[in-house]
Amino acid sequence: MKPGLRGFFDSMEQYLTRQEPDALERLYTAHPGWDAPRSRVALYGRMVRHHVTSTLEKLYPLTRAGVDAARWAELVRAYEASSPSRSFEMNHLGEGFPGFLADEAARRGLPDFLPALARFEWTDFAVYTSLEPVPERVERLTVNPTLAVLEHPFQLCAYVRRQGRGQPEAGQEMALLWRHPERLVTMFLAANDRSLLAVKMALEGLTPSQVSAATGVAEADIRAAVESCVADGLVLSP
Amino acid sequence: MSYARRHGLKPLGAGIGLRREFYARLPETSRALDWVEIIPENFLTLGGRPRRALDACVERWPVLPHGVALNIGGPEPLAEDYLSGLKALVERVDAPFFSDHLCYSRLRGAYLHDLLPLPFSEEAVEHVVPRVREVQERVGRPFLLENPSYYALMPGGTLDEAAFLRHVAEEADCGLLLDVNNVYVNARNHGYDPRAFVDALPLERVVQIHLAGHEQQPDVIIDTHGAPVCDEVWSLYRYVLERTGPVSTLLEWDQDIPSLEAVLDEADRARAVLAEVESR
Repeated sequence: MKPGLRGFFDSMEQYLTRQEPDALERLYTAHPGWDAPRSRVALYGRMVRHHVTSTLEKLYPLTRAGVDAARWAELVRAYEASSPSRSFEMNHLGEGFPGFLADEAARRGLPDFLPALARFEWTDFAVYTSLEPVPERVERLTVNPTLAVLEHPFQLCAYVRRQGRGQPEAGQEMALLWRHPERLVTMFLAANDRSLLAVKMALEGLTPSQVSAATGVAEADIRAAVESCVADGLVLSP
Repeated sequence: MSYARRHGLKPLGAGIGLRREFYARLPETSRALDWVEIIPENFLTLGGRPRRALDACVERWPVLPHGVALNIGGPEPLAEDYLSGLKALVERVDAPFFSDHLCYSRLRGAYLHDLLPLPFSEEAVEHVVPRVREVQERVGRPFLLENPSYYALMPGGTLDEAAFLRHVAEEADCGLLLDVNNVYVNARNHGYDPRAFVDALPLERVVQIHLAGHEQQPDVIIDTHGAPVCDEVWSLYRYVLERTGPVSTLLEWDQDIPSLEAVLDEADRARAVLAEVESR
């Protein structure tokens, strides 16, 4: 590449990826005599920034609602500055946002549940779009391969289900998130005896009669628990 | 001989884009539709609904990938993971050809997720041409470059836009995806005659056309793909087809997406223009 073109890219990189207030003027200084209207060139800076803002808003609606507008804008700005997008797929620019919030929560005085909530929202998206192949047929009870497990000290499943109204209650939770094999939507629940039993039976190849014999729980109840989890797509049955 | 004829490419008719809003309904539509365009970035890393919708469309129509992240004009080597994924996708949907934009979208490893204009210069031509050849070689199917919209001429330009497009297309021996709305938007924003611009292009290389809507702001027109195609763009479309003959045409709608029926109505209108041109 010739130096002129190299210089063009270097100056555009400075302008588009740094957020100094004088970035536009510095871009023009790098190209003496360039007479393109500043308002037109500024469109590019705004559009590049808009992609980050709109993508984070789409991926993290509840996290966004957890702080006021000014703080959200500052979080987005700081995240963009610290985490250039490394994926050609635009949604993936938001993948590092939960980690960023976790690193920044104490220093910025963010609500304590915010990093865990962001991690929940990212996992919702990741499960929804998972490339993990879900078999059309299985030979035995099988855990849905899109299943993700999160643990956090808040009751986030209930909070997400009520669309972020109020505050999440404190309390350790193991959240299970998976994509329904037919409806292809993300399902989630706070792990309970029923769901954990179905997952355990799938992982260890246990039959209802074996579980009944080992636990003393009626076999019909065990079958009902498994069938309910199969209907929800948490586990797949032959 | 035209680029399409050399590569055995026939006009496919009028198509629309497979967008998230249409994942459920498009594969089921009983309306006329000749082909479907996909943004490969939406399908390379995303399974679930996007993948199911794509598979259903492949069963019914020709599917053409139209990328936004190839970064054909960028300063860094072409991204290996992207290129290998793109090749696999093109083969999976058995696309007769594929396309991306004559622009850059990545700097110092950071994806900017926008179609950023290059300076119209010999240097840029020299930089882009071997990259286009590499893409064609690696993917192994005919490749088209789209004329992007631009709001400012970039510094260092030495050529006019049509000459820039011509040099790249001819020296790299690739096809052109002529975005007629972009021609209109650029002509209005930069004060030139869109028909003279069209006349200056290597029209024998045009294999696909895009039609879209835009947004008129006080001092600039923004290429939003978020409105119906305006009368001037329809008129320019006819002007192009009168010179090229029928060309596979896409109704592009990416923002403020209306009902599937409304987008298909626009595709019907394009199909009618194509039929009219063909019957002459």
